[in-house]
Amino acid sequence: MTRVLVVDDEPQILRALRTSLRGAGYDVETAETGEAALTAAAVNPPDAVILDLVLPDGHGTDVARELRTWSNVPVIVLSVVGDEREKVAALDAGADDYVTKPFGIDELLARLRAALRRGEPSGEPVLELGELRVDLEKQSVHFDGRPVQLTPHEFALLRALAREPGKLMTHQMLLREVWGRAYGDESHYLHVYVSQLRRKLERDPARPRYILTVPGAGYRLVQP
Amino acid sequence: MALVSAVVDVLSPHVPVLALGVLYVFAVLSVATFWGTALALATSVASMLAFNWFFLPPTHTLQLRQGENWLALAVYCSTAVVVGLLAARARRRSADAEQRRREADVLAGAAADLLHGTPADEALGRLAEPLARALGAEAVRLVPGAPEPAPSERALPVRAGRRAVATVLVDERLPVAAAAAERLLPALGALFAVQADALEAEALRRSDALKTALLRSVSHDLRSPLTAILAAAGALTNDELTLDDADRAELAHAIRAEAERLNRVVGDLLDLSRLQAGAVEPHRELWSADELVAQALPPGDRIQVELDDVAPPVRVDGPQVERALANLIDNALRYSPAGSPVTVRVEHGATELRVHVLDHGPGLDGADRDLLFRPFEGEGSGLGLAIARGFAEVNGGQVWAQDDPTGGHFVLALPTAGAAA
Repeated sequence: MTRVLVVDDEPQILRALRTSLRGAGYDVETAETGEAALTAAAVNPPDAVILDLVLPDGHGTDVARELRTWSNVPVIVLSVVGDEREKVAALDAGADDYVTKPFGIDELLARLRAALRRGEPSGEPVLELGELRVDLEKQSVHFDGRPVQLTPHEFALLRALAREPGKLMTHQMLLREVWGRAYGDESHYLHVYVSQLRRKLERDPARPRYILTVPGAGYRLVQP
Repeated sequence: MALVSAVVDVLSPHVPVLALGVLYVFAVLSVATFWGTALALATSVASMLAFNWFFLPPTHTLQLRQGENWLALAVYCSTAVVVGLLAARARRRSADAEQRRREADVLAGAAADLLHGTPADEALGRLAEPLARALGAEAVRLVPGAPEPAPSERALPVRAGRRAVATVLVDERLPVAAAAAERLLPALGALFAVQADALEAEALRRSDALKTALLRSVSHDLRSPLTAILAAAGALTNDELTLDDADRAELAHAIRAEAERLNRVVGDLLDLSRLQAGAVEPHRELWSADELVAQALPPGDRIQVELDDVAPPVRVDGPQVERALANLIDNALRYSPAGSPVTVRVEHGATELRVHVLDHGPGLDGADRDLLFRPFEGEGSGLGLAIARGFAEVNGGQVWAQDDPTGGHFVLALPTAGAAA
């Protein structure tokens, strides 16, 4: 059975999550502090962690960072509206995805399933998502069977997203990968390049189906 | 004086020369009027010497032959001095009156501006010139607050109570009428204090009105979803009720929908209070219109999008502008017939990106357009438009409602990245 460690100090939320996750077929373990969470994860490694960003003994971001030093377990953080900066910090510290409180359980379950499914990058040179076909080795892109011409930056951006389809890539991860470390903190051209890419890869750039924006955090490439 | 001497010379054959000495008083009078007491006194003495030299026997000497000439000279001399003093005093009075008039002009101008609600900064700008005139300085700078003067400047504070509301900065080399400054600046400070009090009272009144409206709105917008949630949850947990699966599902869906509504209302209230407190800081990045529109679109097919293929990017906080646009779209969907299309059209000019949101609803015929954007005051429009305008404005943009015979028409305008730089 898939084991999920839920870290939150609010009893009502723990109760609701425990019930819902068990109902969805997961084995649930809970922790109310960061320290308890790290101990639980070390003693009995879970398959996924749901981590609240605000904990009585510190910040979820630190727990995620600590966890990442010895584990690749998928981590989904719970953030609140208005805490965008902390959410992005947690993602950059190694969390895989986030859900904003208050959330519907189906949204959390969808994120959890996606995180569990992803695991390691496939390493396959060719990625096919719907009408989109990306050959990372030959650096060629086809949409609906037709070749698409991309500029080097556009291709680098698509490659960064395509390496782990479905994974949320933060602005900083994309900037580092495409423009190099020096651009880590400036999101200058990222959004504009994404728009250009969409104009080449989406049927309707106003209703993108492949490259989705994660507001205030980054982008992810998905199966439409 | 030379002129008077010439006149005396011309007249001396016809009139006793002694009587003509009185004419020098004119010279003294005119000097006193235009140049002041000291020069008038000098002119008096010089006049007497000239009269004596040119006309009193023995002429071309400063000696006097007859005793009566001595007496006449003394009388003329004192007359000249007295007249000179009187004229000089009159001159000073009139200069004083002129100065007071200038000072009164400054105060009247300031009073008119400040009491009619002209913002203090603007009023200060307009006051600089008359103030310079009143202080007798060529030019002064009048700036709000108590800034550090430049090294070559002198600072004269304008105080309201103990606080410096403004500062007069004047070039060190320029003279300033100290007496005028002493009279004028405290009076000016008092005027600013009156305006500050008036503004504060107005802000309090508005915030009071806002709080009242907020409470009314909160009690309705928060209570009605809460009521639905409590009722549905109560039904689900009540053992005495007989519910089939369909009933349970319906109640559960109602709880969910109402909780989502509650979440939106709370989000709106938070956004609005942050906007009104000036606590919204845009995190500006370059964004394309494509992306802003894409993020603002709700699911569904009622919306027709017309993108602009060559629209330049804008430097804004993406999520904030998306929120503004989403609220305009939501407003259009809500106030036009169900199923009728809503158009979102992107256009750009030399310095501006415009996103039009058009619907086929009743439009805004006769409605007070600005009222729509005031929280709690629009006709049931809630907070959406106020929030849209707030987020647009903190990002250097604007939102307005436009005349359109075909239906509702709102515009979000943003400076393009090149123009904003």
